[in-house]
Amino acid sequence: MRIEKRLGATLLTIGMLASLAACGRDDDTGGGGEGSIAPQASEVDTSAASGEIDVWAMGAEGEALGAFAESFMEEFPDVTVNVTPVPWDAAHDRIVNAIAGGEVPDVTMVGTTWMGEFATLGGLDPTPANIDGSQFFEGAWNTTVVDGTSYAVPWYVETRLLYYRTDLAGDAEAPATWDDLKAMAAAMQEAGAEYGISLQPGGTGSWQTWMPFFWQAGGEIMGEDGTFTLDGQPCVEALTFYDSFFTDGLTPPAAEDVPVEGRFANGEIASFISGPWMMSIVEDAGTDPDTYAVAHQPTEEAGTSFVGGSNMAVLADADNKAAGWAFLEYLSRPDVQAAWYEEVSALPAVQAAWDEAALSGDEKLTAFGDQLSDAKAPPAIATWEQIAAEIDGIIEQVTVGDMTPEEGCPAMQDAASSIGTGQ
Amino acid sequence: MTAQSQTVGAGQPAPTSPRSHWREHLVAWSFALPYVLLFLVFMAGPILVALFTSFTDMRVTDIRNPLDIEITGIENYAAVLTDARFHKAAANTAVFVLIGVPLTIVLGLAAAVGLNQAVVKFRTLFRVGFYLPVVTSIVAIAVVWRLLLGTEVGLVNAVLASFGIDGPGWLNDERFALWSIIGVAAWRNLGFLMVIFLAGLQTIPKDLYEAAEVDGANSWQRFKGITLPLLRPTMLFGFVITGIGYVQFFEEPYVMTEGGPLNSTLSMALYTYNQFGFGNYGYTAAAAFVLFIAIATLTLVQFRLLRDET
Repeated sequence: MRIEKRLGATLLTIGMLASLAACGRDDDTGGGGEGSIAPQASEVDTSAASGEIDVWAMGAEGEALGAFAESFMEEFPDVTVNVTPVPWDAAHDRIVNAIAGGEVPDVTMVGTTWMGEFATLGGLDPTPANIDGSQFFEGAWNTTVVDGTSYAVPWYVETRLLYYRTDLAGDAEAPATWDDLKAMAAAMQEAGAEYGISLQPGGTGSWQTWMPFFWQAGGEIMGEDGTFTLDGQPCVEALTFYDSFFTDGLTPPAAEDVPVEGRFANGEIASFISGPWMMSIVEDAGTDPDTYAVAHQPTEEAGTSFVGGSNMAVLADADNKAAGWAFLEYLSRPDVQAAWYEEVSALPAVQAAWDEAALSGDEKLTAFGDQLSDAKAPPAIATWEQIAAEIDGIIEQVTVGDMTPEEGCPAMQDAASSIGTGQ
Repeated sequence: MTAQSQTVGAGQPAPTSPRSHWREHLVAWSFALPYVLLFLVFMAGPILVALFTSFTDMRVTDIRNPLDIEITGIENYAAVLTDARFHKAAANTAVFVLIGVPLTIVLGLAAAVGLNQAVVKFRTLFRVGFYLPVVTSIVAIAVVWRLLLGTEVGLVNAVLASFGIDGPGWLNDERFALWSIIGVAAWRNLGFLMVIFLAGLQTIPKDLYEAAEVDGANSWQRFKGITLPLLRPTMLFGFVITGIGYVQFFEEPYVMTEGGPLNSTLSMALYTYNQFGFGNYGYTAAAAFVLFIAIATLTLVQFRLLRDET
């Protein structure tokens, strides 16, 4: 009893101290930084970099980076790079825990949609001026910018294109407008496909397929003043257009348990929208590389697509920031980016890398490169994942007919506004 | 210790000076100390911190400066209780518990009673068969059931198709998803209850059945008149344990449907987990305490309803 009481009292004291100390958070909410080139921290001298750096990287990148870093260590013999592969599933929580505990690696890979959270948390080091932001695709660079400051370098990118079966499309050109896309899907369904296109009816990540249409209609997720601008004509147009594929029976009405690549390979699904990784997947599933093509998103007000990928960041509590930035500077070189593409097929974030022979020769790759110059990411705010989940839910409600687009857009706006930006 | 047991053994009233009481307490607590310490550090402490957190606006972005948060009173609780998605999650959980618990109990009881008498030959085989899902990883179970319940290529729909029935989307149609999950959960958990009930059945004296048989009671009357009443304490245990487990149902929707379609399989625990993933720690703590209150209430109600009436 006694021990319990004493500990209880201690805990109470801590609680009271906490409440006393909780004299309020800062209320200076910044704008929704969407400026092109953000202010960067002053230069870091990377020439004399030495010592060890710990690097966390996820997925296939994490497994390949260790060997790839050898070439960096040849150029900087004083630096040793230790790469720890981290599984994607565990990465987010592990980085949060590391930042909270102050026991951080020097460099970590960061998913583009996590940037807002980690930067607001104060866990990332601002990008020094010796990294030239304009060498990256603008959409990719913007994912590193939180509240007007860049906190990372884009490492590799991905964007979403229209995959379609050229044998079913016949002579049809790649769709230039929304009407063309609709007509093409209908024509391919006519030509024998079970469904002309496959669009996600809802569920996790469907916002990534829908959001490009919103941007193409002229929409912006956030205004200059940092308030959400989801409600409005562009949103209604985009949701109506998206929903029309469902009402016209051009896309599967519910999520299918057969993966799309198999259905695409045997011609049951004539087209879908996805990222560069699907090229090898549909070919492995048996699609003849000559019977399909990838096309730029259709253009209304704009022809914008979604840009995702991963950034590389140096942590604020890192022991060896200079060597960390030297490593990232090295990874951002065009020839290194192209070599890295050959290693793991991750698309370079540096524009000049696309002129290297490894990338410029492939027609489908070039289509991705073209789209990347017109691709956007959601704003780097700490609450984006939660807002995205809300948008996913509303897209689902619209496609199954529980909600009209006119109701869906205000609902998105309300949800985003009540969640806020987390500052 | 020796001195004390001698005193008690002699049957004399022990001298109860305050000093010896103090010593007794000290000895008792020193034995309990390892557990108490672990409990305080790893259970009570975090629970108290979580309770405190539930009254603040703490988010993931505050973890470097945990003192930089604001007390918001019951704001989180009000927000949880007025969130339409939470209502949906609570309704799903209620359906899951109200249908799933009796269903699992009935299935478990049927398996136990059946194995206790009829199928003597393959008893061990059946026992293992029914119990296997309990000890199998939920991820493996979910993968298998997702294949079985698939809309286009699922085995269940293939069997239905051979009878000319066009099977529904068991997991991706919001009218069926929750029921499919209840079915999977009942299948998965009936083995545990079966073992408990089997043990309970062993404690019922055989001569009661013999006497009833002599009196001309048929097997249903024997089940109703002897088995059910005498199994009451075991049933209470089964209801409480299954009830507590089912109010927190999480794994099945987490691995099979992610709470979809249209939140039709979103449970209170999954809702809370999602909020944690979004980094809304204060809000998550409030949702967790609401869930805790629901569990405590349910358990109390069960104890009231099934209390031994003798």
